[in-house]
Amino acid sequence: MSAEEEENAAELKIGEEFLKAKCLMNCEVSLILDKKYEQLQNMSDDPLSQTSQVFEKSLQYVKRFSRYKNSETVKQVREVLSRNRLAEFELCVLGNLCPETVEEAIAMVPTIKSKGRFQDDDAIDKMLRDLSLIKKFE
Amino acid sequence: MVFLEAQLSWTVLIPPESLFAEGLKLQQAIVLRLLEEVSCRKASKELGYFVAVTSLESVGEGQLQELTGNVIFPITFRCVTFKPLKGEVLVGAIRKVLRHGIMLAAGPLEGVFLSAKAMGDGYEYLPRDEPVFLSEKLSRLESGGAVRFKVLGLKWMEEDREFQVLATMAADFLGPLISDDD
Repeated sequence: MSAEEEENAAELKIGEEFLKAKCLMNCEVSLILDKKYEQLQNMSDDPLSQTSQVFEKSLQYVKRFSRYKNSETVKQVREVLSRNRLAEFELCVLGNLCPETVEEAIAMVPTIKSKGRFQDDDAIDKMLRDLSLIKKFE
Repeated sequence: MVFLEAQLSWTVLIPPESLFAEGLKLQQAIVLRLLEEVSCRKASKELGYFVAVTSLESVGEGQLQELTGNVIFPITFRCVTFKPLKGEVLVGAIRKVLRHGIMLAAGPLEGVFLSAKAMGDGYEYLPRDEPVFLSEKLSRLESGGAVRFKVLGLKWMEEDREFQVLATMAADFLGPLISDDD
């Protein structure tokens, strides 16, 4: 992104890296950080001294705000969202915030409406219902 | 919050005493040095906060510094990062309730300010031992509670190596979350 002022996530005007690179949802990062912490325990007698403050605060955050806890469901969430033609960034915002209605989803990620990725509101609604089903059966 | 898995190329400096160890030990010394370095740098303006190194991808040929005996290795590694973006919707926890607004934190991002003017819905400040903001619809903002907000603007603070964020709650589907919804 050359001009910083123009950056705007609501219009999907964001750095290339957010559009192409793999973005990660809270629940995915929660699994990664858990595994990382375990590895550090094996590598050092004092794992806490090897983690940064950023690591610890991120871990606390994703633990509190992840909507999905176990690795199987986390996989399913990405799969359901990937069925739609979403940018990585949009996919993660939806997976994190789990909007319940089509209006809420569009308010959170306005670009899913304007970029014509969904045929109609019913298609968005179906995706949201699939997501909430995963949550229900976790 | 949306994290990113980035590939980075840095150099790490290994002191001579770690060099005479066996191969695997040298690898370990490089990893530990890298973790220290990540912890120390904390964040960058371009990539945001460095959350966790996920893998060491490659270690290049070391370059000896003749005076010190240290060896500098160019390395590439993968790292989970987080950078707040303007227009992004985030969930944060309330750290402090002040007369003019509330201070929020979202993981490593700690300097989020939501001004009373950007709350919408007629929130009113109630000065108590534990001050709160209360809305006409009886939504409350109190220390420890969770809030869904949108990033209005942000600024990189070079000295503290962190971002400061101005938040707004004045739009549909933003506002305090009930605890069950965390």
